[in-house]
Amino acid sequence: MRNKYVIKLAKGGYLKYISHLDMVRLFKSAFKRAGIRLTHSQGFNPHPRLSLAQPLPLGYSSTCELLEFEISEDMKPAEILDKMRQAVPEGIKLLGCGRAAEGKSLAARAVAASYEVRIPLDAGFECDFGELCENFMKQEAIPALKRQKKADVKKETDIKGMIRELQGEKVDDNLILYIKVDAGNRSNLSPELLIPAFASFAGINTAREEMDVTRTGLYFLR
Amino acid sequence: MNIEYEFEKLLKRVEKPARYTGGEVNEVQKDPGNCSLRFGFAFPDMYEIGMSYLGLQVLYSVLNERDGTYCERVFAPAPDMESLMRERGVPLFTLETKTPVRELDILGFTLQYELSYTNVLNMLSLAGIPVFAKDRGEGMPFVVGGGPCAFNPEPVAGIFDAFLIGDGEEAVVKLCGLYESWKASGEGKASFLEAACRTEGVYVPSFYEPCYLETGEIGGVKKLFDGAADRVKKSVLWDLNSTVPPEKCIVPLIETVHDRAVVETFRGCTRGCRFCQAGMIYRPVRERSSDSIIGSAERQLKATGHEELSLLSLSTSDHSEFEPLATRLMAMCKENNVSLSLPSLRLDSFSFKALGEIGGYKKSGLTFAPEAGTQRLRDVINKNITEESIFGSVSQAAELGWGTVKLYFMVGLPTETYEDLDGIAEIARRIMEACRKGRMKLTVSVSNFVPKAHTPFQWEAQDAYEDFVSKHDYLKEKLKIKGVSFSYHDSCMSVVEAALARGDRRVTAALVNAWEKGCRFDAWSEHFNYSLWKEAFEEAGVSMGYYASRKRKYDEALPWDVIDCLVSKEYLITENEKSKSAETTEDCRQGCRQCGINT
Repeated sequence: MRNKYVIKLAKGGYLKYISHLDMVRLFKSAFKRAGIRLTHSQGFNPHPRLSLAQPLPLGYSSTCELLEFEISEDMKPAEILDKMRQAVPEGIKLLGCGRAAEGKSLAARAVAASYEVRIPLDAGFECDFGELCENFMKQEAIPALKRQKKADVKKETDIKGMIRELQGEKVDDNLILYIKVDAGNRSNLSPELLIPAFASFAGINTAREEMDVTRTGLYFLR
Repeated sequence: MNIEYEFEKLLKRVEKPARYTGGEVNEVQKDPGNCSLRFGFAFPDMYEIGMSYLGLQVLYSVLNERDGTYCERVFAPAPDMESLMRERGVPLFTLETKTPVRELDILGFTLQYELSYTNVLNMLSLAGIPVFAKDRGEGMPFVVGGGPCAFNPEPVAGIFDAFLIGDGEEAVVKLCGLYESWKASGEGKASFLEAACRTEGVYVPSFYEPCYLETGEIGGVKKLFDGAADRVKKSVLWDLNSTVPPEKCIVPLIETVHDRAVVETFRGCTRGCRFCQAGMIYRPVRERSSDSIIGSAERQLKATGHEELSLLSLSTSDHSEFEPLATRLMAMCKENNVSLSLPSLRLDSFSFKALGEIGGYKKSGLTFAPEAGTQRLRDVINKNITEESIFGSVSQAAELGWGTVKLYFMVGLPTETYEDLDGIAEIARRIMEACRKGRMKLTVSVSNFVPKAHTPFQWEAQDAYEDFVSKHDYLKEKLKIKGVSFSYHDSCMSVVEAALARGDRRVTAALVNAWEKGCRFDAWSEHFNYSLWKEAFEEAGVSMGYYASRKRKYDEALPWDVIDCLVSKEYLITENEKSKSAETTEDCRQGCRQCGINT
């Protein structure tokens, strides 16, 4: 019987400016500070059994990150939560802890993620956002520019098949876009491709640095 | 302006934004409204470098221990951040509270290497603080400097209001006390400096005015305030055990140069290498007790969650209780699932046993610093390591399965000839021959000799740039040996470093020029720009060679004579003379060498 658990957590404040790998480092040291021993993988270069279900892009907040880990002794989830809350920096909020299901890891089962994108609008920008989103999705193909890893050029690809949902509403002077896209190792769409494609379709000129993105949900295969 | 709002937008556009956010575990949070002294600890390089420096954690903890004092951190923004800050008018701010640095009371720069000086100027300018002390009126922070480079403060004398020379733990607290009394008195800035200069270790450069002879040498120094000392004695923390080392150390959110817990085991060094500034200015040797080291390491590991522990000193094995200490630390680390790193070990049978036990070293390899290629030259520099001991250790290491060895040498040392360079190649060749069976990989790494203030070689000439280049080329040819790789330090950087290291106040103009021309992060080879530095010196009418490659006479007044590091000039002269006949001086542990520190 392995002592596998999952912690659900929110990431916000300045902590959104640390990368996926830095999050993993942060939790490694947090477990040490909390005095909870992680088990390690076997082999020449053992590493602690600890992983986040899906990498979160730098600069994104999240209300739904999932951290899977295995520890050397059985503990009550509430006790883990209690100890870990004292060990994490401001900006990380631990929402809950439970025992992990047997079988494949969350990372291997992830299929989709949902995000909320806040886009401040220029004064006087008016339109029917419901219709705008519908029209956007009605396009036969949705072209987006994807950076090629090797050559530093951008290549156009069709992302339509990877967008599962897209809705928008105006709140104050912002457009709030609710999107659900493929995420995981089967098919993955970064919101960073979708956002500019949508903005250019809608004629929105807001600079990227003015927008905020929050991940609101992660979806898995059973 | 709302700095935080503007700031967030910048964060989305820069590389590694967490360099600028603060918010790490163990960062100190205080209400600035309740603090009468706001102190900025400034490290004039990037976050990743500064956060790996133990001195920052030491002084951060000492200062924040005081009621009413809030010490916050300030680093040099990387070029991408700098250009955005200038474009948007965002001033340099502290990490903890995003307070503009200009609003602080004292801004303390640590001067760890000369090639960070342009970053000091740039940080002041980004903060909206005039770079020259004389242009900073009432209401501007006091700009204070410390660290090893403060032992020759003259090239940056005009930039700083004061320097703290020597150990900082007690001196900085005294300075804060003086600041509080001064603030309560309501008097002008000058009265603070007049009080400060009476404290041991405090040098106020504006109270001194050097004059120069027609030959270019320093003719004398006029004192402009009677209360200032003729020579400023460095401050010494005589009992290391009287202070608690930092334990609740800040844990960076991003990877830094060294992500590990560090405990200082002792300060100072008894070996007396003649080129080594640290070996002279940090005298005398003061040890922390084994119990204190172990207790502190344990508490620091607990508070930080680091996975590695390292010891800090100038020569790990020289702690008087090293073997039992290392044995206890190994047990403690094993118990806590932490890896132990023992840098700069003297390789004897114990170290091999220890290294074998703590593991990990087989990957990173063994490191030796013979510094010179022949016994004669090693005697000249008083580096007491013999070839037999190197070969003995390396072959033992090879037998135990170590696959990589790194050797450090210096070129351009006084009296060096090409025979000494041949010696470097010869050592490499013999190691490879002895270890033919295994697959030994050997790296020969060469740095350039930079004469430093307060060392027996402080009068010596540095090689000219062209000499360094020929020597590197020569070694490159000689070291074309299978399995040996050769790397060397940038010669231009070493020349600029030397000019700044032994400069006087006339060098300041060149430094300011260089900064105005855009020099930044000069210790980074990708940012260092020699042609700008050359122009900067030429336009200031200052000769780099005068400071770097000119041999001084013993009776010449030196810019740093105003600083008393408690090691006498007579001792340095004796050591320099002995070096000429390759005569060695034994380790001070074998008897006092009368350097002056104990009198």
